Amino acid sequence: MKSVIIRPERCVGCMQCMIRCAEAHSQSGVLALAVSESVLAKPRIHIGVGPELRPFPNKCRHCEPAPCQEACMPGAIRSDIAAGLKIVDLNRCIGCGMCGMVCPYFAIRYYPAAQAPGHGQVAIKCDGCFERVARGLEPACVEACVTGALTFGEVNQHMNEGVNRLADAAFGVTA
Amino acid sequence: MSKRDFSDLTICKDGQAMLAKAREDGVETVWDRKRAQEPHCGFCELGLSCRNCAMGPCRIDPFGHGPQRGVCGADAHVIVARNVGRCVAAGAAAHSDHGRDLVETLHAIGEGATGDYAVRDPEKLGRIAEELGIPAEGKDVKALAKAVSERLFEDYGIRREAPALLGRAPQKRRDLWKKLGISPRGIDREIVEMMHRTHMGVDNEPVSLLLHAARVALSDGWAGSFVATELSDVIFGTPTPKVSQVNLAVLKEDQVNILVHGHNPIVSEMVLAACKDPEMLKAAKAKGAAGINLAGMCCTGNELLMRQGIPMAANHLMSELAIVTGAVDMVIVDYQCIMPGLVTVAGCYHTKVITTSPKAHFTGAEHLEFTLQNAREMARKAVRMAIEAYGMRDPKRVSIPGSPVPLMTGFSNEAILQALGGTPAPLLDAIKAGQVRGAVGIVGCNNPKVKHDYANSELAKELIKRDILVLVTGCATVSTGKEGLLMPEAADMAGPGLKAVCKALGIPPVLHVGSCVDNSRIIHLCAVLADALGVDISDLPVAAAAPEWYSEKAVSIGLYAVASGVFTVLGVTPPVLGSSTVTGVLTSGLEGVVGATFAVEPDPHKAAELIDARIKAKRLALGLSA
Repeated sequence: MKSVIIRPERCVGCMQCMIRCAEAHSQSGVLALAVSESVLAKPRIHIGVGPELRPFPNKCRHCEPAPCQEACMPGAIRSDIAAGLKIVDLNRCIGCGMCGMVCPYFAIRYYPAAQAPGHGQVAIKCDGCFERVARGLEPACVEACVTGALTFGEVNQHMNEGVNRLADAAFGVTA
Repeated sequence: MSKRDFSDLTICKDGQAMLAKAREDGVETVWDRKRAQEPHCGFCELGLSCRNCAMGPCRIDPFGHGPQRGVCGADAHVIVARNVGRCVAAGAAAHSDHGRDLVETLHAIGEGATGDYAVRDPEKLGRIAEELGIPAEGKDVKALAKAVSERLFEDYGIRREAPALLGRAPQKRRDLWKKLGISPRGIDREIVEMMHRTHMGVDNEPVSLLLHAARVALSDGWAGSFVATELSDVIFGTPTPKVSQVNLAVLKEDQVNILVHGHNPIVSEMVLAACKDPEMLKAAKAKGAAGINLAGMCCTGNELLMRQGIPMAANHLMSELAIVTGAVDMVIVDYQCIMPGLVTVAGCYHTKVITTSPKAHFTGAEHLEFTLQNAREMARKAVRMAIEAYGMRDPKRVSIPGSPVPLMTGFSNEAILQALGGTPAPLLDAIKAGQVRGAVGIVGCNNPKVKHDYANSELAKELIKRDILVLVTGCATVSTGKEGLLMPEAADMAGPGLKAVCKALGIPPVLHVGSCVDNSRIIHLCAVLADALGVDISDLPVAAAAPEWYSEKAVSIGLYAVASGVFTVLGVTPPVLGSSTVTGVLTSGLEGVVGATFAVEPDPHKAAELIDARIKAKRLALGLSA
């Protein structure tokens, strides 16, 4: 399973991921135009602030089972749009805020969206850039990240590499 | 945010009270906006982003994972050095363009083209004329004003080898600058050359860029800022010691409160004259006010404080909070350090914001353009509007915290020499005897990244304890003033040597010497002391510190201090850490070149240690006790 892998220690807090996420979810898909659309797109990845102002990238983990999905009364959070992703169906979302209240990762925000009927306030969260990925692209946040804090890859492979690094450390080899 | 949180933001009780009121009133302040900006861009904080051309913008990845060169091929070192260069150019431009306005004013006086301004200190004008080789004999004040201003206009151009007052620097220092190729020529020339060098494809060697940055900074410190200080003294009077007051409690509940904010006394002096006008006072009384109360913020406040003893309401970070009192009827601004957010805050109350300079317009403010011909009339017009605004004040929303703190001001070099009996000898004797171990200029701003006023005042307290005399300018004036450090009584907080000297002379251990352009007074004093001892400035037991700096001007000031031989400690890291070369040059490499470096130390107690060690070393090298 491919996923966005986050290494907070590499994040410099440039927030380029946020800008490019918003761009990717805008109507035009182009930064220069996206910033003047009547309903502005919003980022679905966020940079938190840790100790000593250390930046902390945070986004939806697409849990299974997903507390947000279980709390969603109108059934707007769907598993059947793209494999392995929990995606908000903006035609069903009523902006009640339940999903945000139960999200253990604080990964959901509420904003008006151009794609929602009547442009009402709806749940905005990571959709794994499923449309971009289907076109063979990486998620927008990953493409924007120049420090390697966000990468896109097989989780198991990432784990295997991690084991090797751990082994190096355990035997006192420095990279 | 709880009350405790407010005390994390500022040490000032009046500031904490107004932060709480701002929260209640729903007013956004500089601290809220800073929080919303966090985390700041990591590339920019490291100096690793470049916006100089449209092939970019580019960033260099400091972790080595991503790009190591910009599109043009510039590496981290070139990008960081170019950014430092442009930062210094902007800072020097601000001080020097301020100075230019005073040259123009003096010229208009000479030409008889202004009825509103005159020369208040003709003796100083005469002394400067003599220094410039302009014979004063047979010339009246106007003719002298014209001749001096015409020579100083040339400081801005390319027609001279050196600015007019550069001869004030010790010969050794000037020889060094010449050898390094960093003797300042014309002010505008150095700034323009920096903009040229940092264009894509010009100067691509970090050390070369940094040396030119030093040249730009020297054209600020020994020319642009010098001109601003000296001509302000000529036109508005050379400051003499006097006592005034500081903090938000200088605002008066029963009077029309006008604040001047910005930098140039050309505007604030005219506002002061209008506030004293009997006709205006009558109009204010007719509106039910007991009088018209003028107070200052930032450096134009320092200018009025130094020369006229007008009280100081606030420094940089407190400028919005002054309005939050609900008692400010008008803020009259000119230029520099006026946060655009001020207009938004004023919009939450009845406060009017008046802009005056053709160079500085603010959306939402009312513009009354002051010229050399109409300034007096414009100032009266503004004061009349303030009186009108007083009528709109809502007494239920007024809250003026605490009570004012007294401070002593007015220590121009002329005043310091006079206090010493006409020569620097008594000060030198005290230094030699170790009663005064050295002197430090604490200068510069506030920055919301630093607990407001903490680092400025704490460093001053720590230094005077160690028998080190402190000189303050700019926003550090208010930081130290509010802590009572600018009164002669503060001598009791000083070490035994400094305490005795202060008591004997009746002066405070922390001397207020002016606004941010008046750092030229400090560098001039260093030159006078070095000449008297027959040494270079870099041999003196002196240092500089900018514990809470934020502005490009502070970078220029810091660099002219270092390039003049003064060790300088910054409390906020400048955006250079992305380049080991640039960081290395600034913090160690320059020592062997100009005899001083920068250091960065946010903790004021550790900064005092660094400064103390430096002063100790310099004293020992001069054959004095540590």
